[in-house]
Amino acid sequence: MATISSAPAPGMHQIDLSKLNLNQLAKLKQQLDQELNVFQDSLQTLKIAQGKFVESGESVEKITPETKGKTILVPLTGSMYVPGTILDTENVIIDIGTGYYAQKDIESAKDYFKRKVQFVTEQMEKIQLMGIEKSKVREAIIMMMEMKVQAQAQAQKATS
Amino acid sequence: MAEEIQKKLQKEFELFNNLKKEYHKAVALKQQLDSQLNENKVVKEELNLLKKDAEVYKLIGPVLVKQDLEEAKQNVAKRLEYINKEIKRSDGNISALENKQEAVHENLNKLKTNLDNLKIAA
Repeated sequence: MATISSAPAPGMHQIDLSKLNLNQLAKLKQQLDQELNVFQDSLQTLKIAQGKFVESGESVEKITPETKGKTILVPLTGSMYVPGTILDTENVIIDIGTGYYAQKDIESAKDYFKRKVQFVTEQMEKIQLMGIEKSKVREAIIMMMEMKVQAQAQAQKATS
Repeated sequence: MAEEIQKKLQKEFELFNNLKKEYHKAVALKQQLDSQLNENKVVKEELNLLKKDAEVYKLIGPVLVKQDLEEAKQNVAKRLEYINKEIKRSDGNISALENKQEAVHENLNKLKTNLDNLKIAA
């Protein structure tokens, strides 16, 4: 669960695109394409994580004092279930990361999942914004490349 | 003469490629450490949010083992310390590799121009 900062990395400086040649522009575009792919992958991963947290949050909602003593099917493996009875309707145990599990009461469990969903959503928004920025730069590079190609073609025409 | 330089160039090139590989490995390690650091930070925050009498379990293999909250907090703090140290080490390693890469790159360029000059002279 990485935090993503939108601050520019140190050592980054502004480059005048018009001063680059076609080769450099192509390389830059390739680099941006790669970065955009990474963003896309991260978004996908975050979306899955978000879905899991939302699902868990919804599951917690279903545990109420009325469910006490009710039977449920407990999965032992993905394809084998045994019947079980809910004894404790006040507490759940939550995976908080790195192998630690904490017991929480229903209210704080709800709060936990709400917080997690919010965190993941924020990260996704950040990535989306960064992606939009990068796409803009990428488009600028493509435009510049086209202009250079055209200029080259015209120069060739003039000499021939 | 040209052959000698050619050989040197090849050697230097190999060195450069090896350095590049090492560099990529180091960066991957750093990224892994970074994500571990983040996960541990999140766990620390969560542990701090827990009530004093909350039960905490640690997953060891397939079993959940009950652990003291204080102990868990100390464990996570220790792990954070360790990861931070590792990150510092890995940062040093990365910048050292960067410097080495640059030096070899310069050498490569020098050898290349030498070779070119020889070719022109020949």
